[in-house]
Amino acid sequence: MHPMEIIHSSRFYSFFQSDKERCFYIDLGQKTVRLSFCQLLSLRQKIRNIDIEDHFDGDGNKHGFEILALCNKEHLFILNTHEILDLKELLVGAFLVLDMGLSTSSIPQKI
Amino acid sequence: MKDIARQLMSIKVESMDMLNAQIQMEGKASASYLAMASWCDQHAYLQSAEFFYHQASEERSHMMKIFKFINDCGGNAMSPEITQINHDFSSLEEIFETALSQEVEVTKAINRIVAASKKNNDYAVENFLQWFVKEQLEEEKTMRDILDLFEIMGRDGIALKLIDERIKVE
Repeated sequence: MHPMEIIHSSRFYSFFQSDKERCFYIDLGQKTVRLSFCQLLSLRQKIRNIDIEDHFDGDGNKHGFEILALCNKEHLFILNTHEILDLKELLVGAFLVLDMGLSTSSIPQKI
Repeated sequence: MKDIARQLMSIKVESMDMLNAQIQMEGKASASYLAMASWCDQHAYLQSAEFFYHQASEERSHMMKIFKFINDCGGNAMSPEITQINHDFSSLEEIFETALSQEVEVTKAINRIVAASKKNNDYAVENFLQWFVKEQLEEEKTMRDILDLFEIMGRDGIALKLIDERIKVE
């Protein structure tokens, strides 16, 4: 794996960028997933489409788990309510940094 | 550090989200016009039916235009899920009133994206949407002109048949 720069971290997860590979990585605890930009956009859309209200509604999502297939079903994760909320926070923060332009950002640092 | 996200996508993420919502709206408008065409066909308003079949196709072409734009810019266009289309109408006039309201809503949504793209300095999106701004003016005018016919010719019996005969597919 080439050197990466951390873009944003949440309580459970971290989001990285690899300049060399022109892609992104998310450390999801159990494993680190490599995402192209398109796959990242797709993940963002999936996370945005999760209705967290359902987790607090007995009929909507009884168990409070979400099955998340990433990178065209290459990876499969089962996340609970806390983890979904944290992943939402991670992606919101990461996109905020990415969309603002990174040249002036003080957040990224070499790891 | 490189700005990889910017290298791979020419528009802002916020614009992409709003354009995806617009795809949904145009898709729904297309399906809604099909429902109107069906009602007109069933009630022997054949010119109106043709008009709405054409409108349905036009709305779909708008949807495709936005869809292609997002992907061409490196974004992620989402195929819309269309549900809850109303098929129940009480009159031909109600159908055209609904169509006008629908067009006004589409215009408002387009305007909201233009405003946001201006605010975000997303000039490619602003420029792309200028065609839609002009198109919406024409769409609203078409519906208003048809509704005027009801005022002029009345709403009963033969008047409705005469109105139907005057509705032209552009």
